[in-house]
Amino acid sequence: MGELTITPGSACQGCGAALAARLAFKALGSNVIRHGIPCCPDSTTKTPRFSTVFEGGGAQLTGTSRGLKAIGREDVMAVGFYGDGGTYDIGFQGLSAAAERNENIMVITKDNEAYMNTGNQRSGATPKYARTSTNPVGPRSRGKPRPKKNIPFIFAAHYVPYVGTASVGFPEDLISKVNYMKTIKGFRMLIIQSPCPVGWRYDPAKTIEIARASVQSGIWPLYEIMDGKTFKLNYKPKELKPVTEYLTPQARFRHMTEEEVADIQETATASWENLLKADEMGRLII
Amino acid sequence: MIEIRLHGRGGQGAVTASRIIATAAYEEGKYSQAIPMYGTERRGAPLTAFVRIDDVRVRERELVHNPEISIVLDPLIAKQQAVVNQLKPGGLVILNTAYPPEAVKIGGDFNVATVDATTIALETLGRPITNTAILGAFAKVTGLLKVESIEKAIKKFFPGRLGDMNIAAVKRSYDEVKGPIQAVVKEAPEQKVDIHVGGYGVLKDVSSWRVFTPEIDVDKCIGCKTCWIFCPETAIQWDEEKNKPWIRFEACKGCGLCANECPVNAIKMVRVEV
Repeated sequence: MGELTITPGSACQGCGAALAARLAFKALGSNVIRHGIPCCPDSTTKTPRFSTVFEGGGAQLTGTSRGLKAIGREDVMAVGFYGDGGTYDIGFQGLSAAAERNENIMVITKDNEAYMNTGNQRSGATPKYARTSTNPVGPRSRGKPRPKKNIPFIFAAHYVPYVGTASVGFPEDLISKVNYMKTIKGFRMLIIQSPCPVGWRYDPAKTIEIARASVQSGIWPLYEIMDGKTFKLNYKPKELKPVTEYLTPQARFRHMTEEEVADIQETATASWENLLKADEMGRLII
Repeated sequence: MIEIRLHGRGGQGAVTASRIIATAAYEEGKYSQAIPMYGTERRGAPLTAFVRIDDVRVRERELVHNPEISIVLDPLIAKQQAVVNQLKPGGLVILNTAYPPEAVKIGGDFNVATVDATTIALETLGRPITNTAILGAFAKVTGLLKVESIEKAIKKFFPGRLGDMNIAAVKRSYDEVKGPIQAVVKEAPEQKVDIHVGGYGVLKDVSSWRVFTPEIDVDKCIGCKTCWIFCPETAIQWDEEKNKPWIRFEACKGCGLCANECPVNAIKMVRVEV
């Protein structure tokens, strides 16, 4: 499959989102219409592109998909390539409505865990204790006080055909998930964790290292949920790595005390055990 | 009124440098302004920032159009004639380059001072962040501000150990700066302009973004394609016949991902020769 991204794009050095765009569109092929809402300028693709406001993401995808059906071109896919602000926060209501109607659309989210394009403001995707420009660390603030929204499960609870998570550290998994999404109809969503060297504050060379550590420590497990019930865990290491491997290289977590790290470790281990149980049953009870 | 323009790349701290200069001037009882150029700033992309210093209150709020002093934080931007555009006659340019001021190719009616700030930053801070490493040179060459007030301002921006490292960089560049002398070249040819922020979308050539450049040892390479799959900019291309990678250098931003991921360490990051 040929490369669909036009490079060099205007992303930063070592951008995880640019890699996510490159891999996802490589797997999607050229028969897509890309939809965008304001997010980091990751890379330009050789496909047609529409852009709209944050809130209009779901509605615009719906319009394109129904229009394509009306002219009998259902072979063309309406794909939304959104950031986490457009999926978790501002764009949520439109996407939620589209998921509830089960529109024939595909949503790919590159999740860099804050509003990175405007300067690292907190979003619903920002993990607990992370320092952002709106959650500074000081005597009365320890970074973001609330945990990250569990958006894959929220969309799975719309009983849509497919919801999956992926990571730029596992490109084979990412590409096989996109390939599967191409074969089915209905509302499909893939959330790709894509590290951001500027906002997460680490050396750009470590993008893949951090993405991999996040999966291997159980902070960002790779799974897929079909029709809101069938559950499959795609990456099952025999033993989880400690969360410090993920937290330590990032300066946004540098202020964390041992108790706070233990809190993250406990949450990660507990949710991992739940996922293992669900994977054994092959079913999710929402 | 003294007007200053700073040229740099995202991540080198040009905006922070402008704020440090303004804070240091304020510490000396002067009035000052620091203005960043608004655009799509991101790590690696060229950008500009401005400073105004005066003894009376500064009422202007616009960008600086005719600066007296131009400070260049990046060695590759320092090669471009555009850094002296609209400079006042008899102005001053402080360049980050390893060459002495006599060897500077840009020309016109101005004075030149040079300092190898990238080397100073790499040796004192461990990272190519050249903003504080050029401020010592600025203090010595212009005599506008005392080094002590710059150090005071740096302590405000970087408390603790980081501040001490930055102050060490300032002191070293104060000692190592060469010049200022009258520019040797009187008239230089026009060059392509790459000192302001480009817009969204596709760029033609990003090879000037790199501080470190990848070098592939083809004999060590085992042909696993790891570098090829992980390159965000498709700078690493695959030669199917030889089963070896090659680098499209105009697309490489020098992030070092490939060198970090290579299982046999066949890729090395080497400092770009300027």
